[in-house]
Amino acid sequence: MIVLRMLLYLVISLVTLFLVILLGQRGAWYFAWVLGTVMIVLIAAAGGALLDAQEEAKQSGR
Amino acid sequence: MHDLQTVLVLSRWQFAATALYHFLFVPLTLGMTFLLAAMETVYVTTGRQIYKDMARFWGKLFAINFALGVATGLTMEFQFGTNWSQYSRFVGDVFGAPLAIEGLMAFFLESTFVGLMFFGWDRMSRGKHLLITYMVALGSNLSALWILIANSFMQSPHGATFDPATMRLELTSFTDLIFSHDAQAKFVHTSIAGYVTAAMFVAGISGWYMLRNRHMELAKRSFRMAVLFGVFASIGVISLGDALGFIDGNAQPAKLAAMEAMWKTRPPPVGFNVIAFPSQKQQRNLFDIQIPRLLTPLVTRTMDTVIPGVDEVEKQAMVRMKDGIPAVLALKTLSADPTNLAALAQFRAHQQDMGYALLLERYAPDLTAVTPADYQRAARAVIPNVPVIFWSFRVMVLAGFVMLFYLGIATFCSMNNKVQERRWLLKIAPWLIPLPYIACEAGWLVAEMGRQPWTVYGVLPTWMSVSTQSVGYMVFSLAGFVLIYSAFIAVEAYLMFKFVRQGPDEGATAAPAH
Amino acid sequence: MELYAILKVTWWLLLGVLLIGLAVMVGMDMGIGAALRYFGRTDGERRAVLNMIGPHWDGNQVWFILGGGAVFAAWPTIYATAFSGLYVVMLLLLWSMIIRPLGFEYRSKLPSPSWRNLWDWGLFVSGLLPMVIFGAAMGNMLLGVPFHFDWKLDSWYTGSFISLFNPFAILCGLMSLSLALYQGSAMVMGRGEGAVRERARGLGVWGGLGALVLFTVGGFWVARLSGYVVTAGDDPAGPAMPLHKTVEAVQGAWLHNFGAHPVLWLVPALTYVSILLGVWALRRGWSHFAWWLGALGWVGTIGTVGAAMFPFMMPSSSDPSQSLTVWDASSSQMTLLWMLGWTIVFVPIVLVYTSWAFWVMRGKVTAAHVEADDHAY
Repeated sequence: MIVLRMLLYLVISLVTLFLVILLGQRGAWYFAWVLGTVMIVLIAAAGGALLDAQEEAKQSGR
Repeated sequence: MHDLQTVLVLSRWQFAATALYHFLFVPLTLGMTFLLAAMETVYVTTGRQIYKDMARFWGKLFAINFALGVATGLTMEFQFGTNWSQYSRFVGDVFGAPLAIEGLMAFFLESTFVGLMFFGWDRMSRGKHLLITYMVALGSNLSALWILIANSFMQSPHGATFDPATMRLELTSFTDLIFSHDAQAKFVHTSIAGYVTAAMFVAGISGWYMLRNRHMELAKRSFRMAVLFGVFASIGVISLGDALGFIDGNAQPAKLAAMEAMWKTRPPPVGFNVIAFPSQKQQRNLFDIQIPRLLTPLVTRTMDTVIPGVDEVEKQAMVRMKDGIPAVLALKTLSADPTNLAALAQFRAHQQDMGYALLLERYAPDLTAVTPADYQRAARAVIPNVPVIFWSFRVMVLAGFVMLFYLGIATFCSMNNKVQERRWLLKIAPWLIPLPYIACEAGWLVAEMGRQPWTVYGVLPTWMSVSTQSVGYMVFSLAGFVLIYSAFIAVEAYLMFKFVRQGPDEGATAAPAH
Repeated sequence: MELYAILKVTWWLLLGVLLIGLAVMVGMDMGIGAALRYFGRTDGERRAVLNMIGPHWDGNQVWFILGGGAVFAAWPTIYATAFSGLYVVMLLLLWSMIIRPLGFEYRSKLPSPSWRNLWDWGLFVSGLLPMVIFGAAMGNMLLGVPFHFDWKLDSWYTGSFISLFNPFAILCGLMSLSLALYQGSAMVMGRGEGAVRERARGLGVWGGLGALVLFTVGGFWVARLSGYVVTAGDDPAGPAMPLHKTVEAVQGAWLHNFGAHPVLWLVPALTYVSILLGVWALRRGWSHFAWWLGALGWVGTIGTVGAAMFPFMMPSSSDPSQSLTVWDASSSQMTLLWMLGWTIVFVPIVLVYTSWAFWVMRGKVTAAHVEADDHAY
C-alpha cells in the first residue's frame, strides 16, 4: 500500500516536473502566473497568521 | 426583412451587453476562490476557528455572486452560434477547441467541487476540504485561461490558416494557439485583475465593519489578508498590462493608435497624450495635454521606432484591400468548383490579404468595380472608435494605480496594526469597491472594441461574422436579455447588500448554531 | 478506413456520449425541478428535495456547457447552423435554463413564502421547458430543418419558429420530459424518505410508462416519415464541405440502417428492456438500480435516433443536398485528433471525481437535515 502511494507521488511529481519544464520553456508568463499565485496566496495566509502572533505578543506583553 | 446593417448593430449591442454583464461576476470569482483558499489554509494550519468562520462567511457572499456568473456564462457559450454563426463556422475549427477544453478540464472541476466546498464541510477531513477549495480556485482560473486563449485568437490569430476546400480557418499548430504571447499576457493580466477585485471587495466590506466596530476579529483578519493579497496582485496587473500593451501594439497597430489618439504618424520619440478630446470625424484631437517623448519608449521599448498613426494604418489597409481582391474572387470560383487549379493559384498568391478585401466588400459589394471613394470609406472603417478606447484605457489605468496606491498604504497600516486608527482608510474602503469593476469593464472595452472592425484581427471582419437573423428576432432577444438580466441583478444586489449588512453571525434562515 | 473518417465516426459517437451524459445528469435535475412542487408539499419537503441535488446540479450542468463547447469544436458547422436557425427556441431554452442557478442559490435565502413560491415556479419552468426543447430539437433533426447555404457557407434558415413546434417534435419533447421525470424520481426516491419517497415512486412509474408509449408511437411515426439518403458525393475522408453532394428525401429511409444491419434493432430493444425493468425496480423500491436502468434507457433512446439517422446529423428539408452529415460537418483532422487526446485524458478524471462527489454526499436528505445546515438551499 505504502509502495503504491509512493509510486503515485513519484508519478505526480514527474508529471509536474515535465509540465513545469514545458511551461517554463514555452509559456514563461503562464509559469509566472503559477509562481505568482502561489506566492500571493501564501503571503496573504502568512499575513493572517502574523496578525494572530502580533495579538498574542501584545496580550502577553500587557 | 433581412437588414444586415441593423442586425449587425443589434447583435453587437447584445454581445457587448451580455459579455460586460457576465464580466461583472467573473473577476470576483477568479480572485475570491484563491482568497477563500488562503483563509482556509490558515484555518487548517493553525486550527483557529475564526478562519473557518471567515471562509464560510465570504463563501456565502461568493455563492450569491457565483450563481449569476454561472447563469450568464451559460448564454455566452451559445451566443457565438445563435448570433455569430458565420464567425462560428469560419473559426470553429480553431476557436471551438479551447472552449470545449474549458468545459472538460476547468468547468467540470470548478462546478463539481464548488458543491462539495459549500456542502461538504462536515463530510470530510479539514485537509480534504482545503484541497477541494484549491480545486475550485484552480478550476475557475483554468476556465479563464481557456476562454482567454480563445479570445487571444481573435486578437492575434496564431496557429491556423485558411483552407479554401472547407472555406474556413483550420488549425495548423495547437501549441502555437495556446502559447501565443497575447494569450499568455492576457490570461495573467485578467486572472490577477480578478485577485485585485476580490481584495477590494473583501477589504471594502471589512473596512465597513471595522468602522462600525462590528465583527472586529473577523474583519481585522479579513482586511489584512485582503490587502496583502491585493497589493501584490495589483503590481502584477499593472506590469502585465504594460506587457499586453506592448504585444497588442505590435499585433494591432490600429488599436494602439486609437488607445493613444495618434492621428498622424510623427518622427520618434513622440509624446504621450495624458488628456485628449479626439474627434473621429475630423481625425484630430480637439484638445490635448501631452508629455513629450514619453510614448515611444513606453510602447516600443526604444527611442527611435516609428509608431504608426491612424493615417499610416489607413494607408496600409488600403494597399492590403487592393491586394486581397483577387483572393476573394478566386474563392467564389473555388466554392462552386474546388478543382479549379488556376483559381487556387490566384487565391494562394493573395491569401494573406483576403480579410481586408472581405472588409472592403461591405462598402463595395461588387469587388470587380471598386471606386476610390469605396476604398476611402473602407479605410476609415479600419480604425476603431477612438474616443471610447482612448478614455476607457485611461480610466482602467487610473483605477489600477489608485487601487495600488490604496492597497499599498492599507497594507502598511495593517501590518503595523494601525488600521483602526486611520479611520479615513476604513471610510473610503467601501467606496473603492466599484473601482476594480470599472477597471475590468473598461479593460474589456479597450480589448474588444479596439479589435473592431474585426472579429478575427485582419482575417474576418465583424460585418461578415453575424448570423442571418431578422431584425424582429434581434429586437426580441435583446429586449429579453435586458429585461431578464436587469431583474437578476436587482435580486443579486438586494441579497448581497442584505447579507453584508447582516454580517457573519446570523444565517439566512435563523439557523441553529452550527 | 482512413484516419480522418475514423475520427469523424469517433466524434459522432462521442457526441452521442455527451448527449447521453447531458440527458441523464441534467435531465435528472430538470425532472426534479419540474416536479418539485409535486414531490414536496411543504417548504421543508421542497428544501429537502432541492438539497438532494444541491451539491451536484452545478457539476451536472457542465454536461450542457461541454455539449455546446464540444459541438463547437468538433462540429462547427452544426454549431453555427443549428443554433442560429433555431434562434428563438435556443433563447427560450437558455433563458429558462439560467433561472435554475438562481433558483437553487437564492430561493431559500429569504424566509418569505411568496418569494420561495416564485422561485419554485421558476424551477418548474426551467426544468420543464428545456427538456421539451431538447426532445423537440431531436425530433426536428429527424424531420429535417429548412436551411441552405450561400457560396460563403453562410447559413440561411427559411422556416418559421412556430413550425419547430410541430406535432412530431412535441411528441419527442414529451418523451424526453417523461424520461427526465423518471430519472429525477429515481434520484428523489433514493435520497428521500416517507411521503416524498412515495410520491417519487408514483411519478417515476408513470414517467417510465409514459416514455415507453411515446417511444412506441414515435417509432411508428418515424417509419412513415420521409428520411434522407446520400446518392452521390460525400467522401468520408474528404474535406468538411457540405456543398458538393446530392441527397434525396425518401419515405421510410430512417429504417434503412436497421434493414441493412438488423443487429441495430438491439438499440431500441435496450430502451424497452431497461425502462420496463426500471419501472419494476421502482415498484420494488430499488431506486439505485432504477436510476442506472433509466440511464440505459437514455442510451437506447439517443442511440436509436443516431442509428436511424447515420450519417446524417442535420438534414435540410428545403435543400436536401446541403444537409449536414458526419462526413461534411466536422472539424479538421488535426482538431479532432487533439480534442480526442484531451477527451481521453480528462473524461476518466471527470468521471472519477464526479462519482467521488456523489459518494461523499450520499445518504438520505430530510427536512430536519436541511434545517440544521445554514449553508443548505
